[in-house]
Amino acid sequence: MKTAAILAFAGALAALLGLGVGTGWAGHRPNNEVLVGGAISQTGQYAEPAGRQVYSIKLWVDEVNARGGLLGHTIVLRLLDDKSDIQTSIKLYEKLITEDKVDLLLAPYSSGITEAVANVNERYKMPFVAYGAASTPIWEKGRRYIFNIVAVAEDYQKGAVHLARQIGVKKAAIIGQDSLFPRQAGKGAKDWCKKLGIDVVLEENYPTKQTDFTALLQKIKAADAEAVFSNSYFADSAAQLRQMRELNLNFKLYSSTIGPSLPNFPEQLGATAEYVLGFSQWEPLPKVLGHPGMQEYIERYEKRFGEKPNYHAGGAYGALQVTEAALKKVGSFDNEKLRDALATMEVQTIYGRYKVDARGMNSHEGLTFQVLRGQRRVVWPEKWAETKAELPTPEWSKR
Amino acid sequence: MERSDVRSLYLLAAFLVCAYAMPFLVGAWAGTVRLDERWLGNLATVVVGGIMQGGVYAMFALGLTLIFGVMRIINAAHGEMVMMGAYLTWVAFFYLGVDPLLSIVLTLPIAFVFGVAVQKLLLDAAVGAPELTGLLITFGLGLTLIYTAELIFTTDFRTIPYAPGTVQLTSAIAVGQNRVISFVLAVAISTAVYLFLKLSRLGKAVRATALNAEVAMVCGIDVRRIYLITTGLAAALAVAGGALVSIQFGFNPETGVVYTLQAFAIIVLGGRGHYVGALIGGLMLAVLENLVSLMVPNGTAMVELAAYGLMISVLLIRPGGLMGVKEG
Repeated sequence: MKTAAILAFAGALAALLGLGVGTGWAGHRPNNEVLVGGAISQTGQYAEPAGRQVYSIKLWVDEVNARGGLLGHTIVLRLLDDKSDIQTSIKLYEKLITEDKVDLLLAPYSSGITEAVANVNERYKMPFVAYGAASTPIWEKGRRYIFNIVAVAEDYQKGAVHLARQIGVKKAAIIGQDSLFPRQAGKGAKDWCKKLGIDVVLEENYPTKQTDFTALLQKIKAADAEAVFSNSYFADSAAQLRQMRELNLNFKLYSSTIGPSLPNFPEQLGATAEYVLGFSQWEPLPKVLGHPGMQEYIERYEKRFGEKPNYHAGGAYGALQVTEAALKKVGSFDNEKLRDALATMEVQTIYGRYKVDARGMNSHEGLTFQVLRGQRRVVWPEKWAETKAELPTPEWSKR
Repeated sequence: MERSDVRSLYLLAAFLVCAYAMPFLVGAWAGTVRLDERWLGNLATVVVGGIMQGGVYAMFALGLTLIFGVMRIINAAHGEMVMMGAYLTWVAFFYLGVDPLLSIVLTLPIAFVFGVAVQKLLLDAAVGAPELTGLLITFGLGLTLIYTAELIFTTDFRTIPYAPGTVQLTSAIAVGQNRVISFVLAVAISTAVYLFLKLSRLGKAVRATALNAEVAMVCGIDVRRIYLITTGLAAALAVAGGALVSIQFGFNPETGVVYTLQAFAIIVLGGRGHYVGALIGGLMLAVLENLVSLMVPNGTAMVELAAYGLMISVLLIRPGGLMGVKEG
């Protein structure tokens, strides 16, 4: 019986390994083709946001091929699945570079995975524009082959803190999940509060699996905070809002980094989601943002995938536009020259302007929205505001 | 009761007093404990909230402890069954417009049949086999459930906006409507299952099988049928727990593992295979977590430390868990 169990286990392992690497690629290609490759999460916890980036990648590849290819070469796309796992991703990038010998590398998704992969492509001197990472420390280690395009975590609460200042909030609480990205966002929120003269009366992190926020919310109220800056994802921000309502705790402002920007947040939470502030890197609003080519991109994306692109999709497409522009400037697939072009050039994309500093960081400007009558409406910065923010938030009993 | 047993009980009592006094002492030292009316209201709210939460935790744990008690199988797919219950309730609510409480009546039979099928097709092979076999089989079942749910529902989070209002117990103590509903249902269902096990003929047969399957067989109990009923019942408990999760929290196909771990911690704390132990374990964990979160500076980051610290300490004093009998 014991041997049977061990054999079954070994068999399962072998099958898993087989799935990962089984579809080996021959490694030689006709002359007019170019191999573009990357590993991105198509299953596991990042499958949803990364999946939208995959959509944009596929769209871009088909478009480029339709207009004659990349520098005259037809793109062959080799997109692997890292299963949302850091170790898998590292292995796949090693394989893409050394075995498959890709000509051009694409970025993975999530700050954690990108941070790990950044060591691999750095070693092989193959650059990419990281559309899936928003964590500053990645660019603070002197790396030369990774370029940022999206707004970083530290700026996710920037708009919300400014709005809090406008309505005269003096005391605020900063809470967030105990992991890399929310901690960075919390650090940024604290800095913005300091700059704008808001007193941070409570700062606290919670474990990633936390579902009950009763005690934390009571603690925030006991500290007399008027606003809550929550560096949270869907499950935690949803639970916090619901429990605020259940406990009848009223704050002048509540802002969450990720949760409210997910497409189904207002629908799933109903009236509880009203007045919440959220952050978005980008929205499919060509009339508001006015970036060149946005309208056409949105139409093509929607036609093919049946939904409007969200900011994950937009960021990936923008990064690919930058890469394409850099390749055109270089005129070949020389990765060293490509790196220099990415480091120096300025490009206008559907996502906004791209121009990096010495660290390789772009200064992308995001936007803050508020959920109003079930719709996300841009309320900050003022140049893009669709409507004025409705703050302070009315009390639960008056809704 | 042996002398060493009595001694361990005293030690346990002393330890528990210290453990629950700790957040108060730290809070007093850090200045977060204030003895005014408002703060006492906060404290009471947090304790009530902990009890509500604990009741629901305990219900997850009951299904797990039932299967372990009767078949010595650790069901690693328990959390996924909870998740399945949450999705069934969600589908009933958003597509068929069925009230989540009413839908429990519909989902419980489905869950029972599902549990019976799992027992028949998978777990029968694991009864009596080394513990690793059952763990691997259920682990595989869990993965299958996760990826099936991802295929159907994607990885998007869902929740049900049901009974979102507040219940004001006193002027200072408020608790959510959905929490009260969940707690009352959890207690009612748990009690019903407890009474079934304690009083009914079939329930007694289940307990007899748990004590000693061979002797039960000799006494004329159809042990295989008992196994079917046990797993059916455990799946029903998990799915009912899922309904309660769906009206309180956000969930996606991968949240199940959180509930498996939580349920596992509770039954280890309460005493493996012990029904009342699971209830007490659930309440103890949830209340301690809330106290630490309220009073200790940055305490919410430490609730897991507190919970698992409590579990390990209790196991050191009483290796069988709070209500468990000494093993070996």
